[in-house]
Amino acid sequence: MSGILVYSEKQNIAHELLGRARQVADKQNKTVSVAILGESVTGDMASLGAWGADSVYVVNSPLLVGLGPETFTDALTGVIEQAEPDLIVIGATKPGLEISAHVAGRLDLGCASFCVDFDFEDDAVIAKCMIYSGMGMNTYKIKTKPAMLTVAPAVFNALEVGNKAAEVITINPPIKEPAMVVVEYKDKATAGVRWEDAPMIVDVGQGMNDKSDLEIAEELAALFDGQVACTRPVSSERDWFPEWLGLSGKKIHADLCVTLGVSGSIQHVVGIRDARTIVAVNNDENAGIFSQADYGVVADLHEFVPKFTAVLKARSAELA
Amino acid sequence: MKIVACIKYSLDVSEVKVDPVSKDLKMAGVPYRVGNIDKNVLETAVKLQETFGGTVHAISVGPAKAKESFREAMAMGLEDVTLIEDPTEGQVAPDITALILAEAIKKMGDVDVVVCGEVSDDGFTYQVPPRLAEALGIPLVSFVRKVTIEDGRIVADRDLEDSVQTVSAPVPALISVMEEINTPRRPTLLEAMKAKKKPVHLWNIESDLGLNSDDLMQKAALEKVKSEGVVIHRKQQVLKGDDLAVMSDELVDILFADKVLKGGV
Repeated sequence: MSGILVYSEKQNIAHELLGRARQVADKQNKTVSVAILGESVTGDMASLGAWGADSVYVVNSPLLVGLGPETFTDALTGVIEQAEPDLIVIGATKPGLEISAHVAGRLDLGCASFCVDFDFEDDAVIAKCMIYSGMGMNTYKIKTKPAMLTVAPAVFNALEVGNKAAEVITINPPIKEPAMVVVEYKDKATAGVRWEDAPMIVDVGQGMNDKSDLEIAEELAALFDGQVACTRPVSSERDWFPEWLGLSGKKIHADLCVTLGVSGSIQHVVGIRDARTIVAVNNDENAGIFSQADYGVVADLHEFVPKFTAVLKARSAELA
Repeated sequence: MKIVACIKYSLDVSEVKVDPVSKDLKMAGVPYRVGNIDKNVLETAVKLQETFGGTVHAISVGPAKAKESFREAMAMGLEDVTLIEDPTEGQVAPDITALILAEAIKKMGDVDVVVCGEVSDDGFTYQVPPRLAEALGIPLVSFVRKVTIEDGRIVADRDLEDSVQTVSAPVPALISVMEEINTPRRPTLLEAMKAKKKPVHLWNIESDLGLNSDDLMQKAALEKVKSEGVVIHRKQQVLKGDDLAVMSDELVDILFADKVLKGGV
């Protein structure tokens, strides 16, 4: 097959990758396939045709549990050997980054990380990728066949392309018992809604004093059907949220982002810079965030936010 | 027990600037140093050694001039550092780095635990640990926030996006750590003085590892076609004052006027 193979363990990311893969494939007269790997894959796989897949490769195995990198690498390698794609596109979640690099190592493939766009040029894959914590973009030609690249969530849009059924191909590649075993598995309490899709975000940094202060952030976010998110230390050190915004976390695309007590390191800003408008509240007028924001307010967030929320409410403000 | 810590002489990306007009990345004068995540790598390796015995050796692929930058790392409790001279000029691609590290670790022999950072400060590809594990044929325990050794097995907490897993894997194994795993120690002046006597071994990829530079260059899978800085224009309008109610009104006025928000009044 001459085509693009897509994989993400997350369904919505797989749809986004299929959306862009379909557009590129149509220009190049190539096919699009998607890999679905799991313990017991059920449901109407043929319906993935609606999201742009010509074919769906299904691997079912009792060993495909807990996103174990060894077994998922075996399974995805098996799909690649069967499908023989020109390009493999993988969602840049933590499991996706891990499994893609294992497969690339095993099959000796070039892999471009954190791509924001890709295409074919004279049958070689060209990929535009984030470098230096997002300060720059490099465009690479990937010299291996197949080529591989990873794409962060919400970089592309999922596109419904009709109701053509995809061909479902079930394969049973060899999967070895893994050396690493999971002793205990705890699901995190997730934010529920993907921050990437929220129309408005209130972004909380270490300037917020106490977890109980999150209430003022929630009230502000609620005015715009928004979500409250945070910086890495607020998640990893204070444990207020299971995930964070930034280079190593989620990247938002909101119409409005209001940062509260965020200092503004590049590693964090890369997570919010795709917001259309950024408002920053910080009591330190020298905070780096003010140069990364459209509107800055030098004030104590704990005092300012309730007043700001009250005015927004009184004036029936909504996103324009 | 023999523990190898893989560390990187990394570009300090917080010093990279972008020319707002030409979009050129201004790389001149941007300093290199042992990366932030590498201090967590060293702390993890040294703590394992203190608890379970053995020796800790650090290994790095980089330019010869990096030789001078390992004093603090050494003072944290290493036996030595092996610096493998970068065969390409500049930033080594993750596939090549993994290949070189794998050869060096094989040459060091009888390694029980290899410790890496989950991702480097500057390259930021997340590729080296999985590729290195594949090249060495040992399991990788990634995204580790807590680690110990029980009955000859690594027992660790892995932090994935939607779950935390406690896992177990036989040694030899590779672990990749997150910055949250620990707070790196700050060596004392005495430790720093003593560290001056510890050796940095300089290895050549051809004479010491039996690899061929030209072959490695040929293998580089990504060819850079274009490079540019990211320029995002923000209005940077800052409000200051004493009366927060007035400032709130002022901000909402501006947000309405600039069509960020709309509303009744």
